[in-house]
This record gives sequence, structure tokens and C-alpha cells, in this order.
Amino acid sequence: MSEEVRFDDAYVPSEDVVAREIEGEIVIIPLVSDIGDIEDELYTLNETGRAVWGKLDGARPLRRVAAELAEEFEAPIEDIERDVLGLVRELVSRRMVVKKD
Amino acid sequence: MEPSAPVRERGELRLSADSLTALMGDVLAKGKAFRFRAKGSSMSPFVKDGDVITVSPLRGRQPRTGEIVAFIHPKTGRAAVHRVVRAVAAGFLLRGDNSQDADGVLPGERILGVLTEVVRDGKRIQGVRGPGSRLLALLSRSGGLARGLGFLRRLVRGTERGAP
Repeated sequence: MSEEVRFDDAYVPSEDVVAREIEGEIVIIPLVSDIGDIEDELYTLNETGRAVWGKLDGARPLRRVAAELAEEFEAPIEDIERDVLGLVRELVSRRMVVKKD
Repeated sequence: MEPSAPVRERGELRLSADSLTALMGDVLAKGKAFRFRAKGSSMSPFVKDGDVITVSPLRGRQPRTGEIVAFIHPKTGRAAVHRVVRAVAAGFLLRGDNSQDADGVLPGERILGVLTEVVRDGKRIQGVRGPGSRLLALLSRSGGLARGLGFLRRLVRGTERGAP
């Protein structure tokens, strides 16, 4: 069963990934079975993903993340919230971010 | 903001040597192994161009003579994978088995990790860390391995040319 992602929760990159900004993209390597295998699994985030990823610090709930991005990108908050929620759901399902307790 | 399908799997992403070095350093610093596709022929025939190799962290121990290690090359600043041919007071003398010249002596902190697996065409290559590695280090140190491999290649080419 997939974990529920809520706007009131804060999220943080998992300890089980290595992430680094390379040539304008966030590159994420999952550490599966104690191996970072770039031949098997390597992910990148586009501009949207990079903007969200940079704010997943475990302190800001997703509602605040979305509000900040809506202001920065001068975009409708409803669109941003949808994007943030969609991305974080995907990142959670791939175990790249975890909810901050 | 763009509409998202923001997580992309590998796709057309090409990592530069500098990026690969940085990612390897990040993964090994977390105490995890790093698996990637080798490029070049300086460790041929033990590691060939296109082999998928795994570099594991040393976890506090020093590399041993004969082991193949990943390190930051002093000339290029990029990761390379060569053999430890001798341990000296200042560090470790490294050399590619198929290289004409040694890389010089590197302090231990420039060594990122040790080669623990080589996979070629989907098959695991045996003997990466076997008992023969010290002998290979001795041969490599004297340049005998590169000369021997060159001789073998010439011999094979000569045989192929001479074949009916």
C-alpha cells in the first residue's frame, strides 16, 4: 500500500540516496543493497523537480513549499500544489524522500 | 513552472568524467559501493573498456599491494582505476597494467576505494582480488606486464596474419 502524502507534513531526502546537481539537473542514485549502481538505476529531476527538491529540508511542510514556489514562479497556487504533491508522491513511492517525524 | 513528469530514468543522460568522479566520491563517502561502466584500456585485459565494475569503500583500512583501486588522478583530477604496485612511506605507487608509465605515489586519502567486481557481457570475471594480484603488481611495477601484453598482442596479430 502506498504511503499517503499530506500537505501538512515535511519531507526530507532519504539516507538511501545520493543526490547531486550536475549540469543543471539533480541526479539521484538510489543506494540499493549497499550499492549505488548508475548502470542500473539513475534518476534526474527536471526544473520543476529541482525546485521542489531544494526545499525538501524536513522543516517546511509541503503547503509552505508550494506557497514559496508559487511566489517564486509567479504561478497559480493550485497548479503548484498539484505539481508538488505529484512529485513528492512519486519520490516517496521510489523511496527517495521520507516524511520527517 | 513546467507541468511535471519530473522524475526521469537515466534517459539520454551522459555523465562527464568530472560528474562521475563526484558521484563516486559521494557514494563511497557514505560507505556504499559504486557500480559503473569502465572506459579505457589502461587495465586491460583485467578490466576492459565497457566492463561494469564495482568499487567498494576501504572502510578505514589501507589498500594492499596488488589490489586495483579507484583514485583521483593527480594529473587529470578525475577518477581512474589502476593497480597498487608498491606501498611506500608517502603512500602508494599506482600503475595501470597496460600503461607505459606509473601514476606516481599517491597519499592514501586520494584513494577512493577498491575494485571488488568486474562484470563483462553479463558474466562476473574471476580473479579480481585473487592470490595472483601481488605477482601482477610486481610485473606491473617493473613494466613487464605492459611489455608482456604488448608482446602477446603482436604474437596474436602475427599468428592471425600468418593463418592460411
